[in-house]
Amino acid sequence: MKRILSKVFGSILVALFLSCPWSSDASEDLKAAVAANFMAPFKEITAAFEAETKVKVEATFSSTGNLYAQIINGAPYDVFLAADEERPKILFRKGLSGEPFVYATGRVVLWGMGKNVCGRANWKDALSAEDIRKVALANPETAPYGAAAQQVLKQVDLWRKLEGRVVTAQTVGQAFQYALTGGVDVSFCALSSALTPQGKKGCYYVVEEAPPIRQAACLLKHSARQKEAQDFLRFLSSPKAETIKKTYGYH
Amino acid sequence: MDLLPLYVSAKLAVITTSLLILISAPLAYLLVYGKWPGKFLFEALVNLPIALPPTVIGFYLLYLLGPQGYVGAIWREVFGGTLLFTFSGIVIATAVYNLPFSVQPIKATFEKIDPRLRENAYVLGLSPVATFFRVMIPNSINGIAAAAILVFLHSLGAFGVVLMVGGSISGETRVASIAIYEAVETMNYSEAWLLSLAFLPVSYFLLLLVNRLTRH
Repeated sequence: MKRILSKVFGSILVALFLSCPWSSDASEDLKAAVAANFMAPFKEITAAFEAETKVKVEATFSSTGNLYAQIINGAPYDVFLAADEERPKILFRKGLSGEPFVYATGRVVLWGMGKNVCGRANWKDALSAEDIRKVALANPETAPYGAAAQQVLKQVDLWRKLEGRVVTAQTVGQAFQYALTGGVDVSFCALSSALTPQGKKGCYYVVEEAPPIRQAACLLKHSARQKEAQDFLRFLSSPKAETIKKTYGYH
Repeated sequence: MDLLPLYVSAKLAVITTSLLILISAPLAYLLVYGKWPGKFLFEALVNLPIALPPTVIGFYLLYLLGPQGYVGAIWREVFGGTLLFTFSGIVIATAVYNLPFSVQPIKATFEKIDPRLRENAYVLGLSPVATFFRVMIPNSINGIAAAAILVFLHSLGAFGVVLMVGGSISGETRVASIAIYEAVETMNYSEAWLLSLAFLPVSYFLLLLVNRLTRH
């Protein structure tokens, strides 16, 4: 038994150490911190970028606030694609990033798939349907889309009525997933989610009262791959990228 | 499908387990046979990670390992670069979180060893250090192996602490359990299925092994 054990562990150890040194190939890729709402177009854009330049882009998708906190604490990302203008601006002011620019402008929508939700006049109407039990929202503290939705709900005086029924998701993508899997009846999410194949299974209403969400990107100062990172940020405004962004409702 | 998270998890588990056994065996020895004031206070400290939520440990580690924390500052002096959001950082976090899970079983095995064995070693002139290596370790190898497997399984599935200290960086800190969580979050169910399926046989087989090792 002892001998078998030591053989098993020994070979696992050797295999692991031989197959890959501590810094694996993945460290050669560009590392991007990307706001969750932009996931679908981002995957297509990076595929196009890779085809053109042979540079791979590895993304971490999360809420803008979470990614921002990671960057402040020294997370090794090369570029940051936020869902607001605020946080990239603060990074720039702190000298942690290059000058931010707006790469996409998105909209907040109310999305659902129930019969009680679809076919209504507008989002307020859909939200006031009697059998709406739970509404999902991305955490307003960390997710700009959640913050915008909360602000509008307060503005039109619906927040207090809903408060006990609001489910807070970590990211706007998770808010969408809650509605898609039926955990909640409707959720405030990004227009881009509603335009994915899964999003087309339901219906959406643009929340007109919420201002368009201007999303800024920036190059991080400590990045060791400034040139590739710069190229990628430039690629975000290329005609190819613009076409992809348009199909997901960004402009 | 991206298999990198499975590799990162395996690497994390192997390194954390080796590191922890090296630390825990002498520590358990000191806890069983050492006579020093405040031992019970120290033992409670070692066991603390069992009682604390992973988020609390994660939060303290985030602070300690960060650029302003002691450990982070020392690390930067010695190796350069930060510990947070790196593979080395999640190894430290997972090791801290698993410390009691490796110290406790080893301590239990040491306690089960007939005290006469150790006394005989002393009488025959072995030093405490030699006794540790030539009497204690060979007589508790099953218990140590069982502890190693449990720590290995725990580290393989590490989630909360890693998420807080490591974020989710591909090839670096995106371990399998985080990849599964993200796959579910993004409705990539086929990937979630496959990654989860990878855990099942490994965990089951290793549990059978633990059972066998601790049967006597």
